[in-house]
Amino acid sequence: MGPSDGRPVTAHVRGPSLRDETETASVMMTAHEITRASASVPVGLLQELRGILSAAAVVDEPQRLVVYECDGFVVEKNMPDVVVFPESTEEVAAVVRACNRHNVPFLPRGAGTSLAGGCLPVGGGIMIALTRMKAIHEINLRDRYAVVDPGLVNVHLTQKLKGSGYHYAPDPSSQGACTLGGNFATNSGGPHTLKYGVTVNHVLGAEVVLANGDVVMLGGPTEDIPGYDLTGLFVGSEGTLGICTRLWVRLTRDPAAYRTMLAVFETVDDATVAISEIIGAGIVPAALEMMDQGIIEAVEAAFHFGFPLDAGAVLLMEVDGLELEVDAEATRMESICTACGAREVRRANSPEERLKLWKCRKQAFGAIGRLSPSYCTQDGVVPRTKLPQILQHIQDVSRRYDVRIVNVFHAGDGNIHPILLFDERDPDQVERVLAASDEILSRCIDLGGSVTGEHGIGVEKINFMSRLFSPDDLAVMGLIHDCYNPEGRLSPGKMLPVLAGCGNEHMPRRVPGRKAAL
Amino acid sequence: MPSVFTPSTQTELARFVAGNAAGSRQRLRPIGGRTTLSANVANSEEICEIRLGDLKSLVDYPARDMTVTVEAGMTVAELQSILQKEKQRLPVDFAQATRATIGGAVAMNASGPRRAGHGSLRDYLIGVSAVDAQGRLFHGGGRVVKNVAGYDLCKLAIGSRGTLAILTQFTFKLRPLPEAEGLIWTTFDTFAEIENVLERLLVSAARPVAVEVLTPPAAAVIANAAHASLPIDRPVLVIGVEGTESTVMWQIEQLRREMVPFGVQDLQTCTSEAASPVWSALTEFQTPADDPITFQANLRPSRAMEFLTLAHAAGVLAQCHAANGLIVGHIPAEPGGGTPPLGTLTKLREFARTAGGNLTVRHADENLSSRIDWLGDPEPSATLMRQLKKKLDPHELLNPTWFDGAGK
Repeated sequence: MGPSDGRPVTAHVRGPSLRDETETASVMMTAHEITRASASVPVGLLQELRGILSAAAVVDEPQRLVVYECDGFVVEKNMPDVVVFPESTEEVAAVVRACNRHNVPFLPRGAGTSLAGGCLPVGGGIMIALTRMKAIHEINLRDRYAVVDPGLVNVHLTQKLKGSGYHYAPDPSSQGACTLGGNFATNSGGPHTLKYGVTVNHVLGAEVVLANGDVVMLGGPTEDIPGYDLTGLFVGSEGTLGICTRLWVRLTRDPAAYRTMLAVFETVDDATVAISEIIGAGIVPAALEMMDQGIIEAVEAAFHFGFPLDAGAVLLMEVDGLELEVDAEATRMESICTACGAREVRRANSPEERLKLWKCRKQAFGAIGRLSPSYCTQDGVVPRTKLPQILQHIQDVSRRYDVRIVNVFHAGDGNIHPILLFDERDPDQVERVLAASDEILSRCIDLGGSVTGEHGIGVEKINFMSRLFSPDDLAVMGLIHDCYNPEGRLSPGKMLPVLAGCGNEHMPRRVPGRKAAL
Repeated sequence: MPSVFTPSTQTELARFVAGNAAGSRQRLRPIGGRTTLSANVANSEEICEIRLGDLKSLVDYPARDMTVTVEAGMTVAELQSILQKEKQRLPVDFAQATRATIGGAVAMNASGPRRAGHGSLRDYLIGVSAVDAQGRLFHGGGRVVKNVAGYDLCKLAIGSRGTLAILTQFTFKLRPLPEAEGLIWTTFDTFAEIENVLERLLVSAARPVAVEVLTPPAAAVIANAAHASLPIDRPVLVIGVEGTESTVMWQIEQLRREMVPFGVQDLQTCTSEAASPVWSALTEFQTPADDPITFQANLRPSRAMEFLTLAHAAGVLAQCHAANGLIVGHIPAEPGGGTPPLGTLTKLREFARTAGGNLTVRHADENLSSRIDWLGDPEPSATLMRQLKKKLDPHELLNPTWFDGAGK
């Protein structure tokens, strides 16, 4: 079933009904009607927004709104009715209050690099783009924190800290574009989170605008504030509990030394066994990433690093620590790789070579355009000893569905990123890709894992929630949602599936992403 | 005497709590090893103690995945001994490990000296199960080390003091045990001099896992508990390192060289067997002993030495996790056993406030209980916290008095 074949669709998401006040709970709409459902916002609201913000900061021309119809999850698209670009917390709060007065949904957006539809404007409404709030307010090395705006690009903080001996540890592959506010909302990871932890381990506090427009400070520059760790709760809440308008992040000491290695394997099986052996041996590498042949091919064509094109898989490995210890640790990892059948282990000989290796890894997704017109990235997690099993399963799924799948992922965390290649113009391929994705993620659950390690639930995986969590688990999460977002106007349709008896109305949705998650 | 319920399974607990919620709505207090139960939750006839000591199974320990799943009533010592057999650990320090339970440690957000290098429970807890006030057994997170599905209920469990739900089971990610460890124990004339060293340590070539500053009487307690002959006549700075034998020795030498120009009066090193009793004395210091009041302050690290100067002048025995800005202090009784100066508490709390932090009381003798403000200044997010408590426990059944500055 394609996105526009006119068959009826029932939508099940948490959130308020939008413009059609007469809509009933059992609404059935055709995809065509859903597309039309994006009507304009109340004129009064538009006027209010133009009063709060400068004219240039309120965008409602359809041709400009198209940019905001999706994030990195391109399977499902919907335009917001208006995008606003506030420049201060007060402006964000005023916009939120105005939306509430007019009963119109709203959601925050950073750079839109999220991969699960986290900033898809479900049902339209007002999108609050935070990209103009990008200041670094304070860097305090003595107390090891920085205070930044949510729209600050991740790598800009890294650049600012260069030479200080400190850095901000979470380094998502999209760090050249993604914002720290987006990292906060999705609890972003990255290659070096294996040793240093994900975003939540590096956020000390946040100023947030709540769903009702109140501005509240959670946590702050001191650790262990008395009471509940609301900072920890809000990080990774995918914009459903509040809009982060300022962050206090922990700065981490730079490693004294590191060794970066590339191990070349004949087969994916050998490489995944090596990963399990390295973790099983009690080594905590700074990073441990795998790329299979398909990715190597694309990356090599793009960056000409000198990857062996005939290799089944390579492991990009990094250890860090004191100069005195990194060689011994690197040698241990090299011996394990060799014992697992690596035909070659190279070390990066210079900082430039190291940076180039990491560039290849982090821009691998960009290189995929060379392989296929469209792709769909999954984000499953398995216990690390189960990596050989899940990789074999992925190969099997690839054969059975006749879908080419390439792999580049955070192996050391057990966080897989199978990339399914297809042409979105071919409905049959789309169908097979969705079914194959579903089978891979289901297997992750069966192996004791999760359907998302770092990309989030968003809209893409919302229907997996009831397979990962019991009705009681979801009921408790629903209470938390309703505690801070009782009307459901903030980021509707995200993360939590609708629960029976919660009084949530149904909302029109577009089609295929839903199926991706079924 | 309060009534008591001792569940033997999590399901049994859920049934009991559900029955209670539907029936008599007795107030419930989860109990672990009773190591941090203080006067802060007033004893009451109406409260039913939920004793979790029988929920102590090792649920799953796939050592090669470096994760472990245990029930809440297992003691910290038992968990650490299970992990030790696989040369692994949960690198957070817990006092009174043979009595303290994992559930209690999570509920109190326990930690110790190694948090400078290894962080705290929020960096290791990846899965949680609990029974809410309605008797629903729910879980959050999972058993894999990276997982962003759903709200992070693990973070809510940590430090929740039994007020949101009765914690029943946890999954932690683990770290390898280090081969060796060592400590440098130094004294300085003033805390201000130590602040200079702390600033130097920010760019040290070494990577300490513990940075502890002690007032002289606190140092005396610790040296005595460790049966170690260590200098205690001046403010003390203790730095801990871990690694292989050679990296430990190298770091100690490096730190010695970095510190000497800053006015070190005395310097002793403890390695291998000699280090371990000192580590454990540094961990145990937080346990209330005879002193009538024990507090914890959280400050910007840059203000901690000023706080210690003030605390020491007031006769407080204080230990500071200097990299994290956390201070544990025991306020002694007046000479002759009189009431301790509550003014000291007020004064320290005021300073904590100006240093961007707060001060909470962890223990107070029963006769002081009602005269003490336990929770300090309300945090800016206190209203949100209360909202959450009300949402998850609308009838205020779980540790009801704690949250609003219990004991009053």
